[in-house]
Amino acid sequence: MANIAVARIKREFKEVVKSEEVAKCHIKVELVDDSFTSLRGEILGPPDTPYEGGTFILDIRIPETYPFNPPKVQFLTKIWHPNISSVTGAICLDILKDQWAAAMTLRTVLLSLQALLAAPEPDDPQDAVVARQYKETSDIFSQTARHWASNYASAPHREPVMDDKVAQLKNMGFDEHKARVALSTHNWDIEQAMENILS
Amino acid sequence: MGNCLNTPTADDISLLRGSDSQDGSETANLGPPPPYQESVPIYHPSPNVSRTVTQLTEEEQIKIAKRLGLIQHLPTGVHDGCCKKTKECVICMGEFILGDRLRYLPCMHSFHKDCIDDWLMRSFTCPSCMEPVDAALLTTYETNN
Repeated sequence: MANIAVARIKREFKEVVKSEEVAKCHIKVELVDDSFTSLRGEILGPPDTPYEGGTFILDIRIPETYPFNPPKVQFLTKIWHPNISSVTGAICLDILKDQWAAAMTLRTVLLSLQALLAAPEPDDPQDAVVARQYKETSDIFSQTARHWASNYASAPHREPVMDDKVAQLKNMGFDEHKARVALSTHNWDIEQAMENILS
Repeated sequence: MGNCLNTPTADDISLLRGSDSQDGSETANLGPPPPYQESVPIYHPSPNVSRTVTQLTEEEQIKIAKRLGLIQHLPTGVHDGCCKKTKECVICMGEFILGDRLRYLPCMHSFHKDCIDDWLMRSFTCPSCMEPVDAALLTTYETNN
């Protein structure tokens, strides 16, 4: 890996560790190994959003050409959000693509992702199913996002009705995550969700 | 039309990589060069796109040639340790050390010459303020005339 990339990550690492946001437990970065090419990020779900209080883990890969090219970031924690794939965790965010600038840092990337959680952009979706739900039935979207956050990101606010529906399908022998995806995709209609899993 | 990028001279490479220091002592300590610094220069017609000369379209070649010319017009200097100036290059996050070669953008932001030249070949904007460099250059020319 190019010297500049490693040197920068080392310096940035210190910056994030010292930052105000870390002190408030809002963001965090950890090394995965000694190479400084693979990092683990963490962001707290922002207040007044369905993700509030959840802890979202991110996989961060530093390319050899960093900081001339952006880091490759994806969610490891499963999340229901129009700009994040509910299957792979891939993120659609301009600064991680063509709007990247060499002066941006791991800290600004994590803060931008936190801002993305607070302000989805459904017209530039990564997950078409979630984006459609966000635009057409925003109440169901918010509840679904909160349900996912409470189950996968340890967020404190639960959605008991949705928890029950997942439990019902689980008791019938269906895989819990598959049941959750099917129910979320079919606006929590149990029959449609079952048909979907069985088809 | 002649292909001005087909036979890269030492000048072309030095413009891209800023490796115009005469002694090789600095690079000798860095171990083997990373793949993108090997003898065949890699161009970036747009960010995230890496191509060798033979893979470039004519349009991209013209764009890169123009870009190389424009970068040459941007002022350079040597860091003289003056404390009122910026202390750090935001690209490598390294502190400016006495004698470092710097380049100044029209928006008044300064960087290590090697760092900013590499960036400008990918994106002609200031990495600090996102100001498009060519737009600012044109304004400078107009006010000077």
